[in-house]
Amino acid sequence: MSISLPTYTRRDMPLLGRGHRIRAIITSGLRREFKRPAAIVTVGVGTLITTAWSIISVFFAPFLLPGQPLDLSFFYTMAANPAILFFVTLMASVIGSGLIADDLDTMALSLYLSRPITHRDYLIAKAAILVPLISMVAIFPLVLTPFLAALLGRFSWVIVLQAIGLSLVIGLLLTAFYASVSLFLSSITRRKSYAAAGVFAVTFGLTIPAEILSLATRNQSLLYLSPWEDFLAVARAAFGASAGPIDWPGALAILLGVTVLASLATYIRMRAVEVVSG
Amino acid sequence: MDDLSVAIPEGAIGLVGPNGAGKTTFLRLLLSLVRPTSGTARVLGRDIQDGVPLRERIGYMPEHDCLIPDMTGVGLVTYMGRVSGLDTNTSMSRAHDVLQFVGVEEERYRKIAEYSAGMKQKVKLAQAMVHDPELYIFDEPTTGLDPRGRSEMLDLVRLISNSPGRNVILSSHILPDVETICKYVIILDGGHQIAAGDMSRLLSGATDRLRIDIRGDPEAFVRRLSEAGFETEVSGPGLRITRQPGVEGAVFQVAKALGAEVRYMGAEVRSLEELFLDLVARTDAGGG
Amino acid sequence: MSGVVETNGVSKWYGEVLGLNAFTASFGRGITGLVGPNGAGKSTLFKLLIGQLRADQGSLRMLDEDPWNNVPLKRRLGYCPEHNQLYGWLSGQQFVETLLRLDGMPARQATLAAVEALKLVGLSKAAHRPTRTYSRGMRQRAKLAQALAHKPEILILDEPLSGADPLARVQILRTISDFARDGGHALMSTHVLYEIERITNNIVLIHNGKAIASGDIHAIRALIDEHPHAVRLTTPRPRDLAQVLAGMDHIVAFEFPAPDALLVRTRKPDAFYKELPEVVVDGGPEVTGLESPDDSLDAVFRYLVG
Repeated sequence: MSISLPTYTRRDMPLLGRGHRIRAIITSGLRREFKRPAAIVTVGVGTLITTAWSIISVFFAPFLLPGQPLDLSFFYTMAANPAILFFVTLMASVIGSGLIADDLDTMALSLYLSRPITHRDYLIAKAAILVPLISMVAIFPLVLTPFLAALLGRFSWVIVLQAIGLSLVIGLLLTAFYASVSLFLSSITRRKSYAAAGVFAVTFGLTIPAEILSLATRNQSLLYLSPWEDFLAVARAAFGASAGPIDWPGALAILLGVTVLASLATYIRMRAVEVVSG
Repeated sequence: MDDLSVAIPEGAIGLVGPNGAGKTTFLRLLLSLVRPTSGTARVLGRDIQDGVPLRERIGYMPEHDCLIPDMTGVGLVTYMGRVSGLDTNTSMSRAHDVLQFVGVEEERYRKIAEYSAGMKQKVKLAQAMVHDPELYIFDEPTTGLDPRGRSEMLDLVRLISNSPGRNVILSSHILPDVETICKYVIILDGGHQIAAGDMSRLLSGATDRLRIDIRGDPEAFVRRLSEAGFETEVSGPGLRITRQPGVEGAVFQVAKALGAEVRYMGAEVRSLEELFLDLVARTDAGGG
Repeated sequence: MSGVVETNGVSKWYGEVLGLNAFTASFGRGITGLVGPNGAGKSTLFKLLIGQLRADQGSLRMLDEDPWNNVPLKRRLGYCPEHNQLYGWLSGQQFVETLLRLDGMPARQATLAAVEALKLVGLSKAAHRPTRTYSRGMRQRAKLAQALAHKPEILILDEPLSGADPLARVQILRTISDFARDGGHALMSTHVLYEIERITNNIVLIHNGKAIASGDIHAIRALIDEHPHAVRLTTPRPRDLAQVLAGMDHIVAFEFPAPDALLVRTRKPDAFYKELPEVVVDGGPEVTGLESPDDSLDAVFRYLVG
């Protein structure tokens, strides 16, 4: 029996380093996300709505919020936009839930781990796919709005630059929280729908009961359970708005703590995954 | 795995063993995906603790499904090449080359979800090859393939293992495949190595006997040969005769006399399967 | 002698997709191997034989009866499907027992039959572990046990060896051989051709929904004229042997692949083997080895299917 097969050539050049390999995962991941209608719509609509809402609130502030001084604390209102919460949750859920779960489901993880990368590289790459996309709704509107406001002369550049800086920080905090939580959920199941549901549960399943219970029992500290309330508390402190029901140190600790714990747990989980079945 | 000591030479090596023998664990160790609880191991001259540099030089074809269904064949292979460290152009070029080599033609532009089982196996092989590793690990490469697919896959494995400077570890339940392709074999059972060595040396069985397959009356054949002084017995579909000078000539004489046909005459070679079953029966406590 | 399975012009379509296309063959006595590329129609044939599907055209008879809607016939056959998903939480014993009882067997009888069947396939030790803990080879044997437990007359096995480790393979083949030796009939499909050759010489070759060959492997091989039969003879004087054999006019070519070997290509292998002993004895050079590398199922498959 004869088969005539062309021979393949030897690879002469040396391999590129870890940075290149991680970037390959990121670009491929982003490209594949932007082929999915769900992802495109979510990112597009989310960015549009959150940005539009923020801008509208800037221009109609005098009417919508009578008595609100037009200083730094004004931008707290922009940050407290519930559309941000909704779309961040949606993004983390639609895009984040499948990032690891799909690789577990198809067992493509075996291929990744047989490559010269570490578990850490893999997770960094996955996070780097998710973070820019979430920041389109969590950071971008918060940064664009003050900028526009300054351009139109509504606020001084001094205030605006401060606002932009603060927006970056708290936006990043919210992004990191949701990125780490959704990646963790994505790593513990093969079905991304479960992970997606989990992300929604973290937002609404914690926030809504917390709000209701705290009203019912008049116990404000129950609001610490809600990631949104924690975020608002930190935003208030950052922008110098008047104090709210919970204090920012505890809120910040919770948000940071969960982010770190979720990241660690994801790493530990990845290292333990039985990738090669016997 | 328990106290496993092996030394694997270059070339094509077979890895066989019953389920639960530790083959998968062994392969994962080679890929540096698990750490040994004790002991050391070196692969391609490096300690297995250096996982990343080691995996630059290893290509792994897993047994299970592992492809990303919504990517195209060439897309996936290019991607994996880049994740191994090839720059985009080199990776794309090599991806096309290896897909050609394994026999994936225009299908490479279609999504993997639409591929047949044979095509998927070929893409799995292609992604293991794209970065030109020195060591290939094939885990049950012919699973699910029809006879033609099996034969093509085995030819590819053979071609690769005959390439100078390239080594192949073939882990398979289909022992005749291992027998034809590998020059060296390691047999595991219960986490230990129970045999290892050159295939031809391990299998050179009783050279003192001749095996023949005939068409005709076996009983009469045996009788005539015994009368002529040759120890003969019926064995399965054929006969086994203790070698003595002139035995082959005698066989043909008896055949002519009886009007029978000789359809096979050759050494009594033990197959890998027989060796395997013998060894495992000896060491195995049973069960399962 | 009629076969266990008689098919005549059987066609089955799934919309436009071909299942079987005018499939005609008579086979099934003893052990028969069903061989063909993926998508050739083996699964369709099996489903027709066990009465799960009905042919669109043609006649199909098993043990002289039409399998469609034929419950008494179903009782006489044991089917071992390809898929590997057993009910994971059931133990091997429970799995076989439950299926027997679903078939109508009384509980006590089912338990005994299950125990016996599991012993036949070598799963007695593991019979009480849940099947999700079984390896592939063990699952294959569990399915075989289930097919055998009600003592059928015919076994229909779809890829019974797939994924099984060598020990399980040997066990399964032995069980099938014993079954046939005790008077049963077995139809088995597989891709690993050498394993069929070990237990039987009867095959049916399916390609594109048709039976392109059925019967004894060697008889089929002998019929394939375009590919002359190759026979390799080991001899210290190959050229002299070639001269002596040149008188056989059915020989197409002589080749000398090694200093001590002569490769003969002949159109009529049967005639060759018949004439050979006489030629060798009557003053020909010594022949110390003889083998036919392409008288195998693998070669037949390659020549007919490509």
